[in-house]
Amino acid sequence: MSRIIDSGLEELSATLHKMGELAYRAVLAAIIECVENKQVYSEICEISDALVLMADNVEDKAFELIARFQPVASDLRTIKSYMKIAYDFARFGRYALDVSYTNQKLGGIGNCDAWMISHVKEMGEKALKMINLSITSLRSHDAQLAEKVAQTEREIDKMYFDFLNKLIERADTTTKCAISSVLIVRYLERIADHVTYICESIIYIATGRKVVLR
Amino acid sequence: MAPKFEIEDLNAWFGSKHVLKNINMKIEENAVTAIIGPSGCGKTTLIRCLNRMHEITPGARISGKVLFNRVNIYGNGIDPVMIRRKIGMVFQKPNPFPMMSVYDNVAAGLKLNGIRDKKNLDEVVRRSLELANLWDEVKDDLNKSGASLSGGQQQRLCIARALAVEPEVLLMDEPCSALDPIATAKIEALIRKLAENYTVVIVTHNMQQAARVSDYTAFLYLGELIEYGPTKQIFENPKHELTERYLTGEFG
Repeated sequence: MSRIIDSGLEELSATLHKMGELAYRAVLAAIIECVENKQVYSEICEISDALVLMADNVEDKAFELIARFQPVASDLRTIKSYMKIAYDFARFGRYALDVSYTNQKLGGIGNCDAWMISHVKEMGEKALKMINLSITSLRSHDAQLAEKVAQTEREIDKMYFDFLNKLIERADTTTKCAISSVLIVRYLERIADHVTYICESIIYIATGRKVVLR
Repeated sequence: MAPKFEIEDLNAWFGSKHVLKNINMKIEENAVTAIIGPSGCGKTTLIRCLNRMHEITPGARISGKVLFNRVNIYGNGIDPVMIRRKIGMVFQKPNPFPMMSVYDNVAAGLKLNGIRDKKNLDEVVRRSLELANLWDEVKDDLNKSGASLSGGQQQRLCIARALAVEPEVLLMDEPCSALDPIATAKIEALIRKLAENYTVVIVTHNMQQAARVSDYTAFLYLGELIEYGPTKQIFENPKHELTERYLTGEFG
């Protein structure tokens, strides 16, 4: 027999899943915009707004569940974590928008050195892969997978600093390219951070352990 | 600080029915400890073992030790009446003496112990009713019948009666289950206040009540102590699968 709180938890879980997919789409669009010079700002803007709205809805629903069912143990951990994860997904939308904004306002990196474009592309692909895996591990509250996903964050961190060092060493690019690319890799690095927060939340839901994976 | 109770290998039976199995736990002084668990798990029996009330039931017996202030209350030469005076009990259904006034209900224990001095009795009655957060509601007519009070007031009267003989411990067996939410909130606030100077052990079916009032929570299942720890830990992050399932209502 399912409990009456379960339908509420499932509703939250479904909303989060939808948020994850939207966040993925936003980040994907922003990366494609970077490397292919496409104009997707307004599309990403729409997704980002939707994500913020959905995060608010998750918070409202979570509050209702707390008020009505006084959840404890894994139910309580789940609800608390879902609220945090909803915020993390909303951040993905926001960072995707920031990337897109950089493209719009500063002309992006589509016409910059090839090594920059390929570096951003590689970092972007890694970030997208992380987002995807975090959605999968969220769906089944898979702590082991969550722990693995977080390892990629270290690679992205390293790529971020490698990029900065390379840029300083070469110093043969335009200011416009330098600023755009630095902002974009920074946003990607932040996205990876938020994936890690999500993974930490999943581990907390599943095991009750509070871990710092960064 | 030494624990108030140290329960060692406690077993209890009703006839051939084994209702408590090898309970080992320490109960902290001046704190609220909640005992939770499904019906028939032995919660009530456990607290009735703490002031030797279990043995009142014909055919009931125990083995093991219950150290109270480091002394085994089941040891030789221990007077159970003395123990029950130090370790008071409040029951599920408020049970004031129906034919007695509010005053006499509170004074009953003292009078039984031979205290007759009116001034002394007045003082204890007032102090006990104040401690039980009932004084303001009854001070104008202490001679009215205890049975004329509301359910919540009756329960606080019973708490005042228990406090009048200056116990060190209050055992409470579902003290709010017959009360409305407002009366319940008053008793819960009272329990927190009492914990400053008394050791309180409360049996409750209402898990949220345990979460609200207790410092420590023990989960009993089929006569066994499954999990025991700080209330925060039990309700946020129980270690045992059975506790998790009971708390989240996935039992059965």
